Amino acid sequence: MEMAALHLPSFSIQPSPPFPKHRVSLNTTQLMTEFVMFQCPSRRNPPKSGSLMIRRRLVRAVSDSGSSTEGAATDSPDENIVVTSDSANDSPPDSQDEKVLVTSESANDSPDSKPLVFVAKLQAAISPLSPFVSSMKIYAGSHSNVIWLSTATAFLLFVAVRVHIGVTRKSKHNRPGTVADLVRRGQLRSDRRGMYAQGISSLKYEDPFNNPYVKLGKSNSTVEMCGKVYKLSPVTLTPEEQAIHQRRRSRAYEWKRPTMFLKEGDSIPPDVDPDSVRWIPANHPFATTASDIDESMAQTNVYQKHGVPFRIKAEHEALQRKLGALQQDQKLNKFFIDSGNAKEYDRSLKLHPKSNEAVDQNPSGNQEGNSSPSSSNSSSSSFNSTSPSDEPQKL
Amino acid sequence: MLSLKPLPPNHNPSLLHSLTPFTPPFPRTQTLKPSKHASPPSAIQSALQWNRKPELAGETPRVVVITSGKGGVGKTTTTANIGISLARLGFSVVAVDCDVGLRNLDLLLGLENRVNYTLVEVLNGDCRLDQALVRDKRWSNFELLCISKPRSKLPLGFGGKALVWLVDSLKQRPEGSPQFILIDCPAGIDAGFITAITPANEAVLVTTPDITSLRDADRVTGLLECDGIRDIKMIVNRVRTDMIKGEDMMSVLDVQEMLGLALLGAIPEDSEVIRSTNRGYPLVLNKPPTMAGLAFEQAAWRLVEQDSMQAVLVEEEPKRRGLFSFFGG
Repeated sequence: MEMAALHLPSFSIQPSPPFPKHRVSLNTTQLMTEFVMFQCPSRRNPPKSGSLMIRRRLVRAVSDSGSSTEGAATDSPDENIVVTSDSANDSPPDSQDEKVLVTSESANDSPDSKPLVFVAKLQAAISPLSPFVSSMKIYAGSHSNVIWLSTATAFLLFVAVRVHIGVTRKSKHNRPGTVADLVRRGQLRSDRRGMYAQGISSLKYEDPFNNPYVKLGKSNSTVEMCGKVYKLSPVTLTPEEQAIHQRRRSRAYEWKRPTMFLKEGDSIPPDVDPDSVRWIPANHPFATTASDIDESMAQTNVYQKHGVPFRIKAEHEALQRKLGALQQDQKLNKFFIDSGNAKEYDRSLKLHPKSNEAVDQNPSGNQEGNSSPSSSNSSSSSFNSTSPSDEPQKL
Repeated sequence: MLSLKPLPPNHNPSLLHSLTPFTPPFPRTQTLKPSKHASPPSAIQSALQWNRKPELAGETPRVVVITSGKGGVGKTTTTANIGISLARLGFSVVAVDCDVGLRNLDLLLGLENRVNYTLVEVLNGDCRLDQALVRDKRWSNFELLCISKPRSKLPLGFGGKALVWLVDSLKQRPEGSPQFILIDCPAGIDAGFITAITPANEAVLVTTPDITSLRDADRVTGLLECDGIRDIKMIVNRVRTDMIKGEDMMSVLDVQEMLGLALLGAIPEDSEVIRSTNRGYPLVLNKPPTMAGLAFEQAAWRLVEQDSMQAVLVEEEPKRRGLFSFFGG
């Protein structure tokens, strides 16, 4: 079985045929035409169909040249025609050392096949291609239009995809009743949901020292930011200079931490170092505080981790006691009041209206002072007042 | 302003080592995540640092007071932005607004409508400490505590002690101690300042490149050192490189020469600061980031690692606009 390999140079459409001028048969012409299409796939001639065509045409050409049997080799599964393009031996199109070989493993190959005849036939087949090449030139001018068209198409596709993504995201957010609503309302932490619970955050860390908006010069000594060019200037402060400054400041600024704050005009206690006293102007917020808050109580409040805060609890208990006391008074009044006592009670009210009015005002004033826990204005003043539980007793 | 560490002449590129001439005063006892690079724990990648989170240095909680002396230089802005940057890096942060009577930190963070209780209410027993802490919904590891409402008064005498109790209580809380406690100090050097610096272990001094601010900053630094706070770093705010170039403003290096403090950051003048204040949205969360936002992020990074700037940016000749400059080249 004679083997012949078809070698063709790396293909480029050339007006002059790259093959020796030999006569080739029509079958070879068809073979070459389709091989051209195979090597240089265009939009008109996809490579797949070309590869099938070339396979069939090669079979026919071989069978035609090697054997008189017709139709025997057509689409024969036993024949595997291999067409190789020897790109390693690429040569300019004008060179004369072309080799055209057809490799065939067919059993039907005739020992009398003549590859050289093929060469001649192929070359003759090339000449009709010149009009084809010239027609390609004509269409070269329209390539720019095609390029613009393809660019515009790609841009439109990009915009469409982005719009689609944006619409999808919006619809995702606008869909009511999702977990996003919980996040929006502050009921759920956005950075601890689902996959983010493992510490993976969608907000990737951005390196401030490697920001794309900062461009370094080649020598690493220039930096370009926001349209301006900067150069690096090294810091020149040495530890010795730092120590000098520290000594200078220690001489210039001598200061003791104050342990006592006094308003201007107050006298210094005898056992207090005058240097440790800090004088506060009279209109300073610190100076206007008149209350003496229990330090230990304040410290306890700061360290409290659980439970009801002290003041809220105290007010709640005071209110409960007051309500209990009121209920007790009402019960007593219902129990003890009869006609005689009621008259005396009426007389006492009439005889001493002012004292009764004063009694009525005092509990209401204390209640207002005690029932406004969140008001910071009353916090300092009410803290100094006696506990509410004492008020009814005083009355 | 960006901080880049220039490679020293004898730098061995095969080694990963820090370029800081100032060694951290505290040993590094905790790291956030193991570094992907095979480097010793104390090494910091030189020149540019990328693809890693900062390694926490020092003992937690790190109590940092942000002060200045002079008002209006950007203490509250610095506290808000550095606090959010730290939270975004994954650290738990509690920011305390110690300005009695003139609180603003809640405004910058956009949390003004959620402040119901303050430290005064905690002291009075009206609420617990965890009820007074306002957790940011954007970053759940960031919490805000205000000292008092505008019309309330903090009792005299134990203002500083209250903050010490506060820090101690935060250390002992069930969900764990915060890694950073930032204290926004009020202006001046009176009782509010003394109260704010009481529990602090380190300080960030915010100043601007003008002589009035520098003089106040120098005094505040002296008082801090008298009080035993030695780890003091400086942030130079509102830097205008164009004025520095025209020699109308002191440069950052000039400021450092006058004060003699390590540089934590140099923040350029940025109009976006005002817009972010209006929105209640800290500057560092802007996308794309602004120059000031980048600078705050870098300052937060250095704060975590107890590092300082090794070089500052000085404006060069203006950029020449080429044909394709609008492409970003």
